[in-house]
Formats: sequence, structure tokens, C-alpha cells
Amino acid sequence: MLPDSNFLSVPLWIIDTLSIVTLSLHLISMNFMFGGIIILLFGKFEDKWNNPIVEKFIKLFPNAMAMTVSFGVAPLLFVQLVYPQQIYSSAIVSGWYWLLVVAVVIIAYYALYASAFSKKTDSRQKIYLSIAFVCLLYVSYIYTSVFALAEKPDLYKLLYAQNQGGTIINPDLNSYLFRWLHMLTGAVTVGGFFVALFGRKNEPAFAVGKQFYLWGMVASIATGLVYMMGLGELMKPFMKSPAIWLVLVSLVLSLGSLYFLFKKKFTVSSIMLAVSFVSMVTIRHIVRKLALIDFHDPSTMAVNPQWSPFVIFLIFFVLAIATIWYMLKLFFGKQK
Amino acid sequence: MSYPFWDIEIGYGIIMAFIAVIHVFIAHFAIGGGLYLVVAETIARKKNYLLKLQFLEKLSKFFVLVSVVFGALTGVGIWFIIGLLNPAATEILIHNFVWAWAAEWAFFTIEICAALLYFYGWKKLSPKNHLIIGWIYFISAWMSLFIINGIITFMLSPGDWITTGNFWDGFFNPTFWSSLWLRTGICIMLAGVYALFVASRLKADEFKKRLIRFNSLWAIVGLAIMMPTLVWYISTIPKEIYDAALESKLTPVVAMNASYINAMLLGVVIIVFGFLIPKRYNIVVGTLAMIFALSWFGEYEWMRESVRKPYVITNYMYANGIDVAKAETYQEEGLHEYIQFKTSDKPADLFRRACRSCHTMDGYKPLKQAFDGTDEAFIAGIIMGTQAIRGNMPPFVGAEDEAQMIASHIYTQIDKRHLSEIYNLEGTALGKKVYDVRCGKCHVFNGFNDKSESLLEITEEDIGDILDMAGEFAEEMPEFTGDAQERKALIDYIMSLNKKETE
Repeated sequence: MLPDSNFLSVPLWIIDTLSIVTLSLHLISMNFMFGGIIILLFGKFEDKWNNPIVEKFIKLFPNAMAMTVSFGVAPLLFVQLVYPQQIYSSAIVSGWYWLLVVAVVIIAYYALYASAFSKKTDSRQKIYLSIAFVCLLYVSYIYTSVFALAEKPDLYKLLYAQNQGGTIINPDLNSYLFRWLHMLTGAVTVGGFFVALFGRKNEPAFAVGKQFYLWGMVASIATGLVYMMGLGELMKPFMKSPAIWLVLVSLVLSLGSLYFLFKKKFTVSSIMLAVSFVSMVTIRHIVRKLALIDFHDPSTMAVNPQWSPFVIFLIFFVLAIATIWYMLKLFFGKQK
Repeated sequence: MSYPFWDIEIGYGIIMAFIAVIHVFIAHFAIGGGLYLVVAETIARKKNYLLKLQFLEKLSKFFVLVSVVFGALTGVGIWFIIGLLNPAATEILIHNFVWAWAAEWAFFTIEICAALLYFYGWKKLSPKNHLIIGWIYFISAWMSLFIINGIITFMLSPGDWITTGNFWDGFFNPTFWSSLWLRTGICIMLAGVYALFVASRLKADEFKKRLIRFNSLWAIVGLAIMMPTLVWYISTIPKEIYDAALESKLTPVVAMNASYINAMLLGVVIIVFGFLIPKRYNIVVGTLAMIFALSWFGEYEWMRESVRKPYVITNYMYANGIDVAKAETYQEEGLHEYIQFKTSDKPADLFRRACRSCHTMDGYKPLKQAFDGTDEAFIAGIIMGTQAIRGNMPPFVGAEDEAQMIASHIYTQIDKRHLSEIYNLEGTALGKKVYDVRCGKCHVFNGFNDKSESLLEITEEDIGDILDMAGEFAEEMPEFTGDAQERKALIDYIMSLNKKETE
């Protein structure tokens, strides 16, 4: 008899935890980059392309992209482990748009490198950053559309019956428009936080960051609440789940983070932002579970433990953190 | 069967190859290049060779731009594309090897960080710290290869996993070690050939001479590791898989054998221009060496992917994503019942699931040309006997009436004119075409499943009798359903061969 491959190799809670942690890391890097690009393009900086804070961001964008891609791999792996049928099916229905994401990210990546390597007075910066912005806007839209469709098995089955060529974009815009806008405004919010943080000794830059953090957060809370109100049938189970408490936690922590940022207490502000971020990712995780519970309940999946590969992964994971820490210490430390 | 089928005009093989080939070229270059940079830097620093350090700094910029951006993202691209083209197989790989993928991700993250710090560190870091980061880069990149190699080789030779289902049995499978060292050799060779290409553009002076010789040494060492490990690798491929591929004269296997010439030519170019007349190693020679190296590598990867046919995971899942374990059930109860994503067109659904992973109608591995001028009964017969066809196809795992439906679906899209009209042929030339279309898919004269001996020294009547009884010879053999003109032309053609043989 051939082995059955439909199993989880560790208990579900471990996968859920790893998924939430790595997705949070991915989103923070992505928000730094995407939100940062938006603020650099639309923010009113003094002598923008010669501004040291702007320059710093431009130099860091390619690295932030590297981190976004790298941190994005792990949550994509874990979500495919738990929800393969939903993710692949939805991706196939939008096949061409989904595949195009890779090419578009490559273009954005090179645009960011072109921007980082060009002279700081170069007016082409705006063009490079605009290219990256448009590309990332596309990527964010397709990601939201595909993952929203993955939560609607009846819809993607119906869409597939109509068109098998992978040329459909999730037509149920009502179900994900505010989800997408919440993600975009969230990126601007986090971008604003980092602009303020980097500009803490540069009052005009700090003011720009502060403004984007404030208004980004207002827009983000508004779009988030509209999205939540539009959950429809999911609203009842949502209110009964721990997610509703996490919404409150996220709100309080976000506002707290805003308050402390205005007071220039960055450590407290960043801790609050990070915790509220993880809470929001957890909310997202719970909503997906609730949306799909009638089609696929991950807690019913067979668990066939593979402890030795898992422990080896953990060792490598810790080793990776330690090695990166060590390299950064070497890089920023005193050179002999 | 649980997934929709992405129905695109481009052949799956083409689109997969397009992304995968780019990625494997860059990924191997990124590993070998990492080792090259750190070793070359160590030597240059020991000898305080400034020109070489400047060369290496420039090289590392390109290296980071190519490997960190293009390499990393085409790697993600492979993930995207396998999920679209064969989600069932991807799901198996993820469920069984999730911690291998995750560990690979950990090394990938170190690799990316190290590459960036190495590049930015040329001016900032002390030589010692710069080299430490360079070594960390190479080790983590090679560890990524180590892990991915376990998963890729599993697909070809799952070994004991097929009975135990144990992670380690699948990971350290029969082709693991040979493939690992072969790929390590490829990494070193590619790094050398690429560094030669960059150096070929320098002006012909003493520095170029020394650099070309140094780079040539890399390429030759890589080749010296590659060639014997390739022989080792082939010897570790389960015999039944390799023999089956050879028997059906799989084009890539033949191309792979021919590609030894590529490796030899590369060796000659490097010895002559790299060691003997290094100052003459110009851009033309550099390009030529790159072409030889990449062609060889492309042919190897093509062979590796193809030799696995008819499976995507040997003895576990067929190339069209159908589980071997469920094949019997589908044959008994019908395939369509188990297809979860259906349209209103049942024959088209069956066609997609059974055939479209490998074939298009009129593009990649076209079915139209294969069946133009034939009839539904013949097409259905061929479908029922796919496992006997040259090229290692999976068996058809549906019910007989479903094969008939697929045949009807194909028949609506082919040229229905007579073979003589389509190809403007008559006499024995028409007979040869009839043979190629109706018989040659399974029987090649002096080749695959050759039946020429049984056709020798027999009469026209005997050949006619054979044609009349064709459907009775073997379960997978279709009846001869050609018309009288085709039949006569075919008999004349076989008789003309008999005549030649007896002469």
C-alpha cells in the first residue's frame, strides 16, 4: 500500500503559530517598503530628493524587498500546507494574473535597485519609485483577490466552470475591496511610523511621518471596520470567536502606539505597534478559518508527526536568527 | 482530481522549462559564484592583489543583482508555477517535506542577508569580517542546495519511502548523494565559466592572463567533478526507470548522451584559450564557453525531468497528477465521477485531466498532427493503450466509454480529410505515412518495439490478415480502422521494405 500524503507532520497549533509569526514579519517588511514608497512619492519633504531621510529609505528599499520576499516564502508554505485545495484552486482560476506577480515583483525590485544606485539629485528617482509603486499595487491587489477567492470555494468552482484559462479576477469585489484598502492604508500607517522613527532627529521629516501615521491609521481603522461590517454571515461566528477581543486589543494598542509616537517614545510605540500587528494577523487567520470551516476544517486533518525533521528545522531556524544577528553585529560593529 | 485544471494554449512543459531553466542556471551560479568570490578574495588579500580585489568587487555587484533578485524570485516563480501546473504533486511534496522546505527557507534567508552584507561590506568591513560573511553566504547557499536536492531527487527515486512513507527514506533516496556532488560540480563549473566570460572583456594584459588562468582552473575543476559524478548519478537512477527511458528512445536521454560532446568542447576551449593562450580569451570565446556550459546543463535538466516519465513522483503519481493508488478505482468506476472541478462539457473535462498536462492540440506535443486523417475508433484505441506508446506515457485511467468521449473530443478538432489528401501522398509514400500514424506510435522499424522480423518474408495476404486481426494481438493494440486505400498503401509499403530486406 502506498503512503498517504494527506497529513500534518506536527500538531496544527505549531503550524498556526509559525504561520502567524512569519506572516507578521513579511507584512512589516512589506509595509516598510510599500508604505515608504507611497510616502516618498506623495509626502511633502523639504528638498525631497536631497533629503537625508528620503535618501536613507531609498537605500534601504532593495533590502526591504529582499526581506519581504524572504519572509513571504514561509507563510506561503504554511498556508499551502493547511489549505492547499483552496489556495491552489483560487490561484488557478486567476492563473495568469497570479503568475504575473513574479515578473512584476522582479520589475519592482530592479526599479528599487535602480533608484538606490542612482545619484541622489537624480529626478529619475520619482520614475523608479513610481514604477515600483504601480508594480506593488498590482501585486497587493492580486494577492488580496486570490486569497479572498480562496475563502469562497463555491465561487471559484462556479468561475472555473465558466472559464478554465486562468483569466478571471475575483469578481466579488465587495468581499475584498475594503480588505485591500485596509492593507494599503495599513502599509501607509506603518510606513509613516518608520519615516517618523528615522526622522526623529529631523523635525520636518518627523512631521511628515507623524502625519502619515495619524491619517494612515484613521483610514486603516475606517476601512478595517467597513471590511468587518461586510463579513455578512461570518459576523456571528466572528463575534463569538476570540477575534473580536483581538480587534479591541489591536485598536487600543494602535492608538497607544500613535500616542507614544507623538511623544517620541519610540520603544513603547514600536512594541505596541508590533503586538497590534501580530493581533491583526491573528484576526485574519481566524477569519479565514471561520470562512472555510464548512469546506475544510484543519483541526480534523490527520497528524502524522515527523518530529526529527521538525527539530532539525527548529535548530536551523535558531541558527539562522543567530547567524543573521552575528553578521549584523560584524557589519555594524567596530572593524579591526 | 481535487483541483481545477489550468487550461492554457502553451504546453505545460514549455512554461515550466522557461521558469525552471532560468532559475536553475542562476541558482547554481549563485552557489558556485559564492565560493569563487570568497576563495578568490582570500588569495587576492593574501597577495595584496588590488586589481583582482577591484574585479571581485565589481563582480559581486552583478552577482548580488542577479542571484538575490532574479535567482530568488524565479525560485518563488517555480513554486507558483508548480502549484498552477500540478497542484496535486506540489501538495504531496509540501505535506511530506514541509520541514525540509522550511529549513531551506531558513538557509535562504541567511543567504540573502549574507549576499547583501557581503556586497555592501567591501568598503565598510575589515577583510577578515568580509571573508567571514562571504563564507557564511557560500555555506548557507550550499545547504539550500543540499535540502532542495533531497526533494528533487525524491521525485525521481523515492526509494524506500514508497513503502515506509518515512521522511528520511524519501530525503536520502538512491540518487541523493550522486546528484548532490554532481550539482556541486556544476556550481563550480558555472562560476568559473561565468567569471571567464566577465574576464574575457578585459584588455589583454598580464592581469587578464592571470585571471583567465585562475578562472579556467575553476571551470576545469568543476568539469572534473561533474563528469564522473554524472556517470555515478546515472548509475544510481533505478534501473527499470532508466532502461524504460532508453528503450523508448526518449529524446532528452539521447540529447544528454550527445551532450557529452558539449562538455568535451568546453574542456577543449578552456584548456586551449584558458591555460595555453589566456590573452586570446576574448568575448567570442567567452560566449562560446557559456553556450557549451549552459547547453550541457540544460540538456541534463531536461533528461532528469523526462526520464521520470510517466510519473511526476515515481511509482506514486503520474505526470498528469493522477495517483497511482487510485488508478484502478478510476478504471473501474470512471474518472469523471472523481473530477471535482467540472464544466458542462464532460469530454473536455476528461480530456484535460487525462491528456492536457503533456499535450496541446496544435502546439506543444500536438495531438492534432498525431491524429489528423484518422478516425474516432482508432483514437479511442490509442487512448486505451497509451502505456504501450513510445515515450513512456501513463496508462489511461478511466472507463472505456470515457476513452471514447475523449476520442470524440479530439476528433472534432482534427483534419478529417483522407491522409492522402492532407499530405498529398500516394503509393508507398502514403503507406509510410499510414504506418507512421497508425503503427509507428508503438512500433519503430529497427527501433522501439520493433516488429520488422515478424513482417519479413510474409505475403501480402499475411499482412492483410495481420491488419484484420490487429485488435486481437494485445489489449493495448487498436484495430486497423483505415480504409481500403490506406490498407493497400500500408501493405505495399511493408512489402517494399520486405523486398529491400531480402535484397
